[in-house]
Amino acid sequence: MHLFRFATSIYGDSDVVIGASWDLLPWFVAAGGAFILVHAVVKAVAGRRG
Amino acid sequence: MSASEVLAATDVARSDRVTRHLLIDRIYHWLTAASVLILMGTAFLPIVGWKFEWLSLHWMTGIVLALLVLFHIVRALIWQDWRAMVVDTADIRNGWRSIARALGIGRRPPGKPGKYKPLQKLYHLAVALLVLSIVVSGLLMLLKIDTPLWRRNPYWFAADTWGVIYAVHGFAAMAMITLVMIHIYFALRPDEWWLTRSMLRGTISRAEYRAHCDSQRWHATGDRA
Repeated sequence: MHLFRFATSIYGDSDVVIGASWDLLPWFVAAGGAFILVHAVVKAVAGRRG
Repeated sequence: MSASEVLAATDVARSDRVTRHLLIDRIYHWLTAASVLILMGTAFLPIVGWKFEWLSLHWMTGIVLALLVLFHIVRALIWQDWRAMVVDTADIRNGWRSIARALGIGRRPPGKPGKYKPLQKLYHLAVALLVLSIVVSGLLMLLKIDTPLWRRNPYWFAADTWGVIYAVHGFAAMAMITLVMIHIYFALRPDEWWLTRSMLRGTISRAEYRAHCDSQRWHATGDRA
């Protein structure tokens, strides 16, 4: 998995960054889901303990 | 207590509703929400395989978002109390007391927040940084496309500089997915409905005001929304 998207430079001798890698998209979605899950569980447990 | 404070207190006492968000701020919030959702849809749906002509809607909505952000900055600095959204020493003290109580090393209960909770302030700061990054990089990226208003000029920056601009736009946009998910989750939680309702109706009840807010830190007024 890459952090960036690359393309060959117009001179053809090197790679240049052209943006963020879209492979990371599921990880950001997963981070949101993980936060929600952990928070919901913590609140539920804390609520049960009173 | 000054005469205006007495009048304000009387105003609050007369009304059983407390104004939290004026109509203009609620319109701003929902227009921004619609803009962000359209921008995320036009950005990410094509990436996950739903192909359509997304670019025109994306850049036009991006300009709308930029104008909304400009409006919000001016309004916050001139007409609103921007300090209400800044983490202060009372927030830090209350945060520490919350952590200490949770860890069993402190007994003093945290005080109530003002208009906004400390985590709401930190969330706002994170969203502000991301949206400003997206808007600034997005406005620069407009130089790469032809529109009815201007001609493209891709030679404004070198190729590697364009790469950085596109990377900033992409990373900030993906991070916005995380923050939007969290925002919607809290808006839907039953214990936060009083806040969600206030973004629809503009007001909270006096009981909610007393239960959740420190009247010394947020001098609320009566229902004038």
